[in-house]
Amino acid sequence: MRRLWLSLALLVLIFAATVGNSLYLKHLTGTITDLLEKAQDQAMEECWEEADALTHEALRHWQDRELYLYTTLRHADTDEVYTSFREVEGFLHTREPQEYAASNARLIARLELVASMEQFSLQNLL
Amino acid sequence: MVIGVVRTVILYLLIILGIRLMGKRQVGELEPSELVLDLIIADLAAVPMQDFGIPLLAGVLPILTLLCVTMILSVLTMRSVRFRAVLCGRPSVIVKDGKVDQQEMRRNRFTVDELHEELRAQGITDLNTVKYAILETSGRVSVLPKAAEQPVTARQMGLSPQEHGLPVVLINDGRLMDRALKAQGLDRVWLKQRLAEHGVCSPDQVFLLTVDEAGNVCFVAREAV
Repeated sequence: MRRLWLSLALLVLIFAATVGNSLYLKHLTGTITDLLEKAQDQAMEECWEEADALTHEALRHWQDRELYLYTTLRHADTDEVYTSFREVEGFLHTREPQEYAASNARLIARLELVASMEQFSLQNLL
Repeated sequence: MVIGVVRTVILYLLIILGIRLMGKRQVGELEPSELVLDLIIADLAAVPMQDFGIPLLAGVLPILTLLCVTMILSVLTMRSVRFRAVLCGRPSVIVKDGKVDQQEMRRNRFTVDELHEELRAQGITDLNTVKYAILETSGRVSVLPKAAEQPVTARQMGLSPQEHGLPVVLINDGRLMDRALKAQGLDRVWLKQRLAEHGVCSPDQVFLLTVDEAGNVCFVAREAV
């Protein structure tokens, strides 16, 4: 009987850990997308320095959790987000509003996709 | 990853159901749940091994989940006969008193050729000599011949042969099994005497030496390489 309870406990633990992981990832990407949206607002008002600082802060949030992200996500997805960050930074430095807006929107969409991929939904299950 | 865990449980149960529906003869010697476990674990382990872009956790978590589910199912099958019947099925009597139960054979998708193959494998050529043939849940066929067809036993002949018991290996390819020697209540002096009887002085020169409960020794000398 002890084996049954141990197995059930481990199963519940795995399930809880995976649900916790999906919630944490949603929170993390939510924080980063908020910062990127604020950066875009600043860029639209020609405040490029503030936009640059906010984008850097968003990138730092992502980089600080590098080990966690590589352990739990497909490496290609994590690498794509990094590439997008670099692209956004490039357009920020060249001060090109149209290109920057498009690139930032792509990065936000990519982050949302990464989070939604891990959400416990019927769409993902099927 | 929560999707991976739930998908793993769903696929595992689905494949067990599939194997159960396929019938016993597809299963071979494994129980349905064991076969499913083997198939999925092999595949799950292979994917993260081959694709370095997939995190190791993506392979480890589903395997852990599978092992937990298997453990839960195995405990439940031990505790409930009904649950065991659902998960593993029940043995089917396909031959009774030399008469083939065709309906049972059809239900298990077991052909006449397969029945004959199983009977031949057990040294039976005449169906009329079979009292029972039972298709086990593992997919094997147990054949019980009629009493008149069964080999005569020592007891039936009024003999009382000596019980030899299980032979225990004392020397394995030149290595002395000290624990086995002590477990048999023997010592190195006894061993030295047995070796001397066979013209050797050290365990290094012995390939195999066994002793049974009656004290009978089997000796095989080691060949020079």
